[in-house]
Amino acid sequence: MKTAFAFLLLLTGAAIAHAAPPADAPVMASTKPALSGDAARGRKLFFQCRTCHYPEKAYGNHNGPNLYGIFGRKAGTREGYEHYSEAMKNAGFVWTPQLLDFWLAHPDTFLPDSSMIVFATTAQERADLIAYLMQFHD
Amino acid sequence: MSTDDTSATGHGSRRDFLRKLALASAGAASATASFDLSAAAPAPRRDIRHWDATTDVLIVGSGAAGIAAAIEARRAGADALVIEKFHVPGGSSSLSGGVCYCGGGTALQKALGFDDTVEAMHDYMIAASGLHASPDKIQIYCENSVAHFDWLVDNGVQYAQKFSDEKEISIPDGSLYFSGSERVWPYRETIRPAPRGHVPPSPHLIGGRDLMAALTASALKLGATLKVRVSAERLIVETDGSVSGAIVEENGQRLNIRARKGVVLAAGGFIHNRAMLELFAPELAACSAPWGRAGDLGIGIRMGMAAGGAVLRMNQGFVIIPIYPPETIVRGIMVNERGQRFVPEDGYYGLLGHEIAFHQNGRAWLIADHDIAFGWDDFRLPVAATAPTIAELEGKLRMPAGALVQSVDYYNAHASRGDDPLLHKAEKYNVPLRAAPFTAYDLTLQNVFAPVHTFGGLHTNIDAQVIDAFGDVIPGLYAAGRTSAGIPVGPYIGSGVSVGDASYFGRRGGRHAALRRA
Repeated sequence: MKTAFAFLLLLTGAAIAHAAPPADAPVMASTKPALSGDAARGRKLFFQCRTCHYPEKAYGNHNGPNLYGIFGRKAGTREGYEHYSEAMKNAGFVWTPQLLDFWLAHPDTFLPDSSMIVFATTAQERADLIAYLMQFHD
Repeated sequence: MSTDDTSATGHGSRRDFLRKLALASAGAASATASFDLSAAAPAPRRDIRHWDATTDVLIVGSGAAGIAAAIEARRAGADALVIEKFHVPGGSSSLSGGVCYCGGGTALQKALGFDDTVEAMHDYMIAASGLHASPDKIQIYCENSVAHFDWLVDNGVQYAQKFSDEKEISIPDGSLYFSGSERVWPYRETIRPAPRGHVPPSPHLIGGRDLMAALTASALKLGATLKVRVSAERLIVETDGSVSGAIVEENGQRLNIRARKGVVLAAGGFIHNRAMLELFAPELAACSAPWGRAGDLGIGIRMGMAAGGAVLRMNQGFVIIPIYPPETIVRGIMVNERGQRFVPEDGYYGLLGHEIAFHQNGRAWLIADHDIAFGWDDFRLPVAATAPTIAELEGKLRMPAGALVQSVDYYNAHASRGDDPLLHKAEKYNVPLRAAPFTAYDLTLQNVFAPVHTFGGLHTNIDAQVIDAFGDVIPGLYAAGRTSAGIPVGPYIGSGVSVGDASYFGRRGGRHAALRRA
């Protein structure tokens, strides 16, 4: 398992300080060929995420932080968002598509103390959501 | 558990029989959807060998209903233990707009110069709720609404002394607005409108966080106990049919919690239980955006059903189609597959969604001209078609030839004078649709942004006591919020009715349980 996670680090170049998943975390999906995401499907899948998140820059923060430009941003650092859990404040890594996929797939073991609700998703749904979110950046 | 037929009539109470019925029907249902009550079947008291903890009032769920119940149970002198399945308390209430529908002359209404009466509030709620209205609950809710608002303030909820005239409270510093269809035909004709949406000021309608932070802090200050990551599984039932506790799960361990006075089920609705939703509420299952915190799994409803509780209005809920803001889009017209209008477009967006979901096969379009069409790609409203003329637009939408042209011509002819004889949209929104090109936004429930939540739940009386199929109270069992079938019905009549109902009847249940002689 540790080798799988090391592979993830290699893949993403993320600097993970405190949020490493436990040794018994499931083997991550990215050891398989990456699925191709569809942003149009992701747009609809993301509807229920809008309970808490806007990806549009102009709309600002909501129940959760705004997700504009999420990839490449250090976790827990959205300007003006005051409600991060301690787990997210201390996460220390930079968000990549691979890390978001891993979190959404393993919420019980990776960042389990985050205040975010993680609904069950398939690997394809996660790929679609990520493809949608990747549209929102400068 | 036993499903032995020979014991069905041999012994046991009506409640035992009911339980078997529930189990049998759950078995039948599982053929079409994996809805199964057996995991929530109550445990007979005789099977409980020891108690792991004891309280007076056990409350399942930490949203508005559960926390309000805890506050009142404590005020009545009882111990109150609130258990929450997740590690973040607050339930869906804490993610909601945090609006409470209050009126009849609340302190905030008076301070901002609005006259309102209990009668006007009552008449609006009855009229707008239609055939499914609960007259007894609406009456007591309205009669006590001024006091309920004071209660919210007394428990630390803060409101700004500012009114917003927007259809949606989109300014960050307002606390009072028209949150329903009070100014919409036909209600405005006979019932004097008043703004009744009371909300802690917040950007983006997320006052629920502040509302629940204040109420939860008040409950804890009063001495209620809140345990997170503890989920209820089954009720514990005495031989006389009364409820005396629950089996809960914490860290993988089963614990028997005794509740000397009663158990309040306040565990939310079931919008996130797909099998239950498809079985009971197919119209809601068709909507694109299940709305609520992760705990809306129907756990409380299932525990109550398995103990013999009756359910009501299980297919109802709110279906929100937020076409506004901006309000200019309300100048457009909404049409069905036949190109015909069917709802005043200035209605509360819960009314718009309800009409599409329940009366138009889940399909509709919003027709806009160049003057009001969004100048941006709006996530809420996907574009179905654009065309230089209405005739071409109706062709692209595969509507009957001439039908949409006729609707637009008729609308324009009257809108040019500010009138809408068909559906009585308010004058300020009646502007002809003439500037090409024309846009049809897709309001089909699977495609449009359609937040949806359930309203069906356990049948309760005005003290939140759960009623069984025979109309009898189940002693010691209470339900409030979306675990109960409360004041909110379809069509949803205005923001704040659900959290208002949850907090008010949660209070009544908590107090009644605390004072119950068990």
